[in-house]
Amino acid sequence: MGLSLSAATAIIGVSILLSIEFMVANVIPTMTDTNDSFDEMRERTIDQMQTDITITNVTNTSLGAPYDLNITVENTGSIVLETSYFNILTNGTSQEFICSDPYLYPEDMVYFNITNQPKNGRLKIITDNGISDYLDYVIS
Amino acid sequence: MGFSLTGAHVIYFIVSVIIASAVSGVLVAVTHNVNTSLSETGDRIQTQLDTDFKIVNDPHNIPNISGYYRFYLKNIGGKQLATTNTTFNLFVDGEIISTTKYNFSDESIQVGEITTIYLANSEISSGDHDLRVVGPQAVDDEFAFKI
Repeated sequence: MGLSLSAATAIIGVSILLSIEFMVANVIPTMTDTNDSFDEMRERTIDQMQTDITITNVTNTSLGAPYDLNITVENTGSIVLETSYFNILTNGTSQEFICSDPYLYPEDMVYFNITNQPKNGRLKIITDNGISDYLDYVIS
Repeated sequence: MGFSLTGAHVIYFIVSVIIASAVSGVLVAVTHNVNTSLSETGDRIQTQLDTDFKIVNDPHNIPNISGYYRFYLKNIGGKQLATTNTTFNLFVDGEIISTTKYNFSDESIQVGEITTIYLANSEISSGDHDLRVVGPQAVDDEFAFKI
Protein backbone atom coordinates (compact mmCIF):
# COMPACT_ATOMS: atom_id res chain seq x y z
CA MET A 1 0.00 0.00 0.00
CA GLY A 2 2.85 2.35 0.93
CA LEU A 3 4.73 1.51 -2.27
CA SER A 4 1.59 2.07 -4.36
CA LEU A 5 1.06 5.48 -2.78
CA SER A 6 4.71 6.42 -3.29
CA ALA A 7 4.66 5.34 -6.94
CA ALA A 8 1.44 7.26 -7.63
CA THR A 9 2.78 10.34 -5.84
CA ALA A 10 6.03 10.16 -7.81
CA ILE A 11 4.23 9.86 -11.16
CA ILE A 12 1.86 12.75 -10.40
CA GLY A 13 4.73 14.81 -8.96
CA VAL A 14 6.83 14.36 -12.11
CA SER A 15 3.87 15.30 -14.31
CA ILE A 16 3.23 18.44 -12.20
CA LEU A 17 6.89 19.41 -12.54
CA LEU A 18 6.75 18.81 -16.31
CA SER A 19 3.58 20.90 -16.59
CA ILE A 20 5.16 23.76 -14.65
CA GLU A 21 8.26 23.53 -16.84
CA PHE A 22 6.15 23.64 -20.04
CA MET A 23 4.14 26.55 -18.69
CA VAL A 24 7.16 28.61 -17.66
CA ALA A 25 9.06 27.85 -20.87
CA ASN A 26 6.08 28.95 -22.96
CA VAL A 27 4.47 31.79 -21.01
CA ILE A 28 7.59 33.81 -20.21
CA PRO A 29 8.69 34.27 -23.87
CA THR A 30 5.10 35.10 -24.86
CA MET A 31 4.87 37.70 -22.08
CA THR A 32 8.26 39.13 -23.04
CA ASP A 33 7.27 39.45 -26.72
CA THR A 34 3.92 41.02 -25.81
CA ASN A 35 5.67 43.44 -23.47
CA ASP A 36 8.11 44.40 -26.27
CA SER A 37 5.20 45.03 -28.64
CA PHE A 38 3.46 47.15 -26.02
CA ASP A 39 6.65 49.19 -25.47
CA GLU A 40 6.98 49.75 -29.23
CA MET A 41 3.33 50.82 -29.47
CA ARG A 42 3.83 53.24 -26.59
CA GLU A 43 6.93 54.69 -28.27
CA ARG A 44 5.04 55.09 -31.56
CA THR A 45 2.23 56.91 -29.75
CA ILE A 46 4.68 59.20 -27.95
CA ASP A 47 6.48 59.88 -31.27
CA GLN A 48 3.16 60.78 -32.89
CA MET A 49 2.37 63.21 -30.07
CA GLN A 50 5.80 64.82 -30.48
CA THR A 51 5.53 65.09 -34.28
CA ASP A 52 4.46 68.27 -35.99
CA ILE A 53 5.27 69.82 -39.36
CA THR A 54 4.40 73.10 -41.04
CA ILE A 55 4.39 73.83 -44.74
CA THR A 56 6.01 77.26 -44.70
CA ASN A 57 6.32 78.14 -48.37
CA VAL A 58 5.55 76.99 -51.91
CA THR A 59 7.39 78.43 -54.89
CA ASN A 60 7.35 77.73 -58.60
CA THR A 61 10.64 76.69 -60.22
CA SER A 62 9.44 76.30 -63.82
CA LEU A 63 9.04 78.98 -66.50
CA GLY A 64 5.38 78.25 -67.20
CA ALA A 65 2.57 75.74 -66.90
CA PRO A 66 2.60 72.96 -65.81
CA TYR A 67 4.38 74.11 -62.69
CA ASP A 68 7.23 72.54 -60.73
CA LEU A 69 6.81 73.24 -57.07
CA ASN A 70 9.41 73.68 -54.39
CA ILE A 71 7.75 73.10 -51.04
CA THR A 72 9.41 74.16 -47.81
CA VAL A 73 8.53 72.09 -44.77
CA GLU A 74 9.63 72.85 -41.23
CA ASN A 75 9.82 70.32 -38.42
CA THR A 76 7.94 72.05 -35.61
CA GLY A 77 7.89 68.93 -33.46
CA SER A 78 10.62 67.42 -31.35
CA ILE A 79 11.59 64.17 -33.08
CA VAL A 80 13.65 63.43 -36.18
CA LEU A 81 11.57 62.52 -39.24
CA GLU A 82 12.61 60.32 -42.17
CA THR A 83 11.62 62.16 -45.34
CA SER A 84 11.69 59.09 -47.63
CA TYR A 85 8.53 57.91 -45.82
CA PHE A 86 6.70 61.22 -46.33
CA ASN A 87 3.79 61.45 -48.72
CA ILE A 88 2.64 64.47 -50.71
CA LEU A 89 -0.87 64.91 -52.05
CA THR A 90 -1.85 67.73 -54.38
CA ASN A 91 -5.56 68.14 -54.84
CA GLY A 92 -5.93 64.72 -53.23
CA THR A 93 -3.62 62.79 -55.54
CA SER A 94 -0.38 61.20 -54.34
CA GLN A 95 2.75 62.65 -55.98
CA GLU A 96 6.29 61.43 -56.55
CA PHE A 97 8.80 63.84 -55.04
CA ILE A 98 12.47 64.57 -54.49
CA CYS A 99 13.58 65.79 -51.08
CA SER A 100 16.68 67.83 -50.24
CA ASP A 101 17.55 65.79 -47.11
CA PRO A 102 16.93 62.23 -45.92
CA TYR A 103 16.16 63.42 -42.38
CA LEU A 104 14.21 66.39 -41.08
CA TYR A 105 15.56 67.44 -37.71
CA PRO A 106 13.58 69.50 -35.17
CA GLU A 107 13.44 73.22 -36.10
CA ASP A 108 15.10 72.46 -39.45
CA MET A 109 13.59 72.81 -42.90
CA VAL A 110 13.70 70.60 -45.99
CA TYR A 111 12.61 71.20 -49.57
CA PHE A 112 10.38 68.88 -51.54
CA ASN A 113 10.22 69.16 -55.32
CA ILE A 114 7.22 67.94 -57.28
CA THR A 115 6.63 68.43 -60.99
CA ASN A 116 3.71 69.00 -63.39
CA GLN A 117 1.35 70.70 -60.98
CA PRO A 118 -1.59 73.05 -61.62
CA LYS A 119 -1.42 76.80 -60.94
CA ASN A 120 -3.33 76.52 -57.70
CA GLY A 121 -4.29 73.69 -55.46
CA ARG A 122 -4.34 72.16 -52.05
CA LEU A 123 -1.27 70.46 -50.63
CA LYS A 124 -1.19 67.83 -47.96
CA ILE A 125 2.07 66.50 -46.59
CA ILE A 126 2.05 63.41 -44.41
CA THR A 127 4.95 62.34 -42.20
CA ASP A 128 6.21 58.79 -41.71
CA ASN A 129 3.95 58.38 -38.67
CA GLY A 130 0.80 59.83 -40.21
CA ILE A 131 0.92 63.42 -38.93
CA SER A 132 0.06 65.94 -41.65
CA ASP A 133 -0.24 69.56 -42.63
CA TYR A 134 -2.29 71.29 -45.34
CA LEU A 135 -1.71 74.38 -47.44
CA ASP A 136 -3.69 76.03 -50.23
CA TYR A 137 -1.26 77.48 -52.75
CA VAL A 138 -1.57 79.83 -55.72
CA ILE A 139 1.29 80.36 -58.16
CA SER A 140 1.49 84.07 -58.95
CA MET B 1 -3.89 -16.38 2.23
CA GLY B 2 -0.26 -15.17 1.86
CA PHE B 3 -0.52 -15.27 -1.90
CA SER B 4 -3.84 -13.40 -1.76
CA LEU B 5 -2.29 -10.61 0.30
CA THR B 6 0.67 -10.27 -2.09
CA GLY B 7 -1.65 -10.47 -5.06
CA ALA B 8 -3.87 -7.79 -3.59
CA HIS B 9 -0.84 -5.52 -3.05
CA VAL B 10 0.31 -6.08 -6.60
CA ILE B 11 -3.16 -5.24 -7.85
CA TYR B 12 -3.24 -2.09 -5.65
CA PHE B 13 0.15 -1.11 -7.04
CA ILE B 14 -0.85 -1.64 -10.67
CA VAL B 15 -4.18 0.14 -10.21
CA SER B 16 -2.59 3.09 -8.42
CA VAL B 17 0.09 3.40 -11.12
CA ILE B 18 -2.57 3.27 -13.85
CA ILE B 19 -4.71 5.91 -12.09
CA ALA B 20 -1.67 8.13 -11.43
CA SER B 21 -0.59 7.79 -15.05
CA ALA B 22 -4.08 8.68 -16.26
CA VAL B 23 -4.19 11.75 -13.99
CA SER B 24 -0.70 12.73 -15.18
CA GLY B 25 -1.72 12.32 -18.80
CA VAL B 26 -4.78 14.50 -18.33
CA LEU B 27 -2.74 17.10 -16.43
CA VAL B 28 -0.05 17.26 -19.12
CA ALA B 29 -2.64 17.38 -21.91
CA VAL B 30 -4.60 20.18 -20.21
CA THR B 31 -1.39 22.10 -19.54
CA HIS B 32 -0.37 21.69 -23.16
CA ASN B 33 -3.75 22.99 -24.35
CA VAL B 34 -3.62 25.94 -21.95
CA ASN B 35 -0.07 26.68 -23.12
CA THR B 36 -1.09 26.58 -26.77
CA SER B 37 -4.06 28.87 -26.12
CA LEU B 38 -1.92 31.29 -24.11
CA SER B 39 0.68 31.34 -26.85
CA GLU B 40 -1.95 31.99 -29.54
CA THR B 41 -3.58 34.71 -27.43
CA GLY B 42 -0.14 36.27 -26.94
CA ASP B 43 0.47 36.22 -30.69
CA ARG B 44 -2.91 37.84 -31.35
CA ILE B 45 -2.27 40.56 -28.76
CA GLN B 46 1.17 41.14 -30.28
CA THR B 47 -0.33 41.44 -33.77
CA GLN B 48 -2.94 43.84 -32.43
CA LEU B 49 -0.29 46.01 -30.74
CA ASP B 50 1.97 45.98 -33.82
CA THR B 51 -0.80 46.85 -36.27
CA ASP B 52 -1.67 50.45 -36.96
CA PHE B 53 -2.67 52.21 -40.16
CA LYS B 54 -4.26 55.44 -41.25
CA ILE B 55 -6.23 56.74 -44.22
CA VAL B 56 -4.25 59.81 -45.27
CA ASN B 57 -6.39 61.26 -48.06
CA ASP B 58 -7.34 64.87 -48.32
CA PRO B 59 -11.00 64.61 -47.23
CA HIS B 60 -12.05 67.33 -49.70
CA ASN B 61 -10.32 65.75 -52.71
CA ILE B 62 -10.86 62.03 -53.14
CA PRO B 63 -9.38 61.03 -56.52
CA ASN B 64 -11.98 59.45 -58.80
CA ILE B 65 -10.14 57.80 -61.68
CA SER B 66 -11.42 55.16 -64.12
CA GLY B 67 -14.50 54.31 -62.07
CA TYR B 68 -12.68 53.94 -58.76
CA TYR B 69 -12.19 56.24 -55.81
CA ARG B 70 -8.64 56.07 -54.49
CA PHE B 71 -8.00 55.95 -50.78
CA TYR B 72 -4.44 55.99 -49.48
CA LEU B 73 -3.70 53.69 -46.57
CA LYS B 74 -0.43 54.26 -44.69
CA ASN B 75 1.20 51.65 -42.46
CA ILE B 76 2.07 53.52 -39.26
CA GLY B 77 2.38 50.36 -37.18
CA GLY B 78 5.38 48.31 -36.20
CA LYS B 79 5.37 45.52 -38.78
CA GLN B 80 4.57 44.65 -42.37
CA LEU B 81 0.88 44.82 -43.19
CA ALA B 82 -0.85 42.33 -45.51
CA THR B 83 -3.29 44.35 -47.62
CA THR B 84 -5.77 42.08 -49.33
CA ASN B 85 -9.55 41.78 -49.56
CA THR B 86 -9.42 38.99 -46.99
CA THR B 87 -7.37 40.86 -44.38
CA PHE B 88 -9.29 44.12 -44.77
CA ASN B 89 -12.98 44.97 -44.74
CA LEU B 90 -14.43 48.31 -45.75
CA PHE B 91 -17.56 49.99 -44.43
CA VAL B 92 -19.05 53.11 -45.97
CA ASP B 93 -21.54 54.85 -43.69
CA GLY B 94 -21.75 51.65 -41.66
CA GLU B 95 -22.58 49.41 -44.62
CA ILE B 96 -20.10 46.66 -45.41
CA ILE B 97 -18.68 46.78 -48.93
CA SER B 98 -18.54 43.56 -50.93
CA THR B 99 -14.96 42.36 -51.44
CA THR B 100 -15.57 42.39 -55.19
CA LYS B 101 -15.99 46.18 -55.08
CA TYR B 102 -12.52 47.08 -53.85
CA ASN B 103 -8.91 46.03 -54.16
CA PHE B 104 -5.46 47.13 -53.11
CA SER B 105 -2.52 48.24 -55.25
CA ASP B 106 -0.10 46.11 -53.15
CA GLU B 107 -0.42 42.76 -51.40
CA SER B 108 1.61 44.01 -48.46
CA ILE B 109 3.28 47.22 -47.29
CA GLN B 110 6.25 47.80 -45.04
CA VAL B 111 6.24 50.22 -42.11
CA GLY B 112 5.91 53.81 -43.34
CA GLU B 113 4.75 52.81 -46.82
CA ILE B 114 1.47 53.62 -48.47
CA THR B 115 -0.93 51.55 -50.56
CA THR B 116 -3.92 52.58 -52.62
CA ILE B 117 -7.41 51.19 -52.06
CA TYR B 118 -9.45 51.24 -55.26
CA LEU B 119 -13.12 51.43 -54.29
CA ALA B 120 -15.78 51.25 -57.01
CA ASN B 121 -17.41 54.67 -57.30
CA SER B 122 -20.84 53.03 -57.62
CA GLU B 123 -20.61 52.38 -53.85
CA ILE B 124 -20.42 56.06 -52.88
CA SER B 125 -22.87 58.80 -53.81
CA SER B 126 -22.10 62.50 -53.58
CA GLY B 127 -22.18 64.12 -50.17
CA ASP B 128 -20.57 63.51 -46.78
CA HIS B 129 -19.49 59.98 -45.95
CA ASP B 130 -17.61 57.95 -43.43
CA LEU B 131 -15.17 55.22 -44.46
CA ARG B 132 -14.17 52.65 -41.88
CA VAL B 133 -11.30 50.34 -42.73
CA VAL B 134 -11.00 47.24 -40.55
CA GLY B 135 -7.74 45.34 -40.74
CA PRO B 136 -6.06 42.39 -39.01
CA GLN B 137 -7.24 41.67 -35.44
CA ALA B 138 -10.08 44.20 -35.94
CA VAL B 139 -7.70 47.16 -35.81
CA ASP B 140 -9.52 49.94 -37.62
CA ASP B 141 -9.38 53.51 -38.83
CA GLU B 142 -12.21 55.84 -39.66
CA PHE B 143 -12.11 58.63 -42.20
CA ALA B 144 -14.76 61.26 -42.88
CA PHE B 145 -14.75 62.73 -46.37
CA LYS B 146 -16.81 64.63 -48.89
CA ILE B 147 -17.50 63.68 -52.50
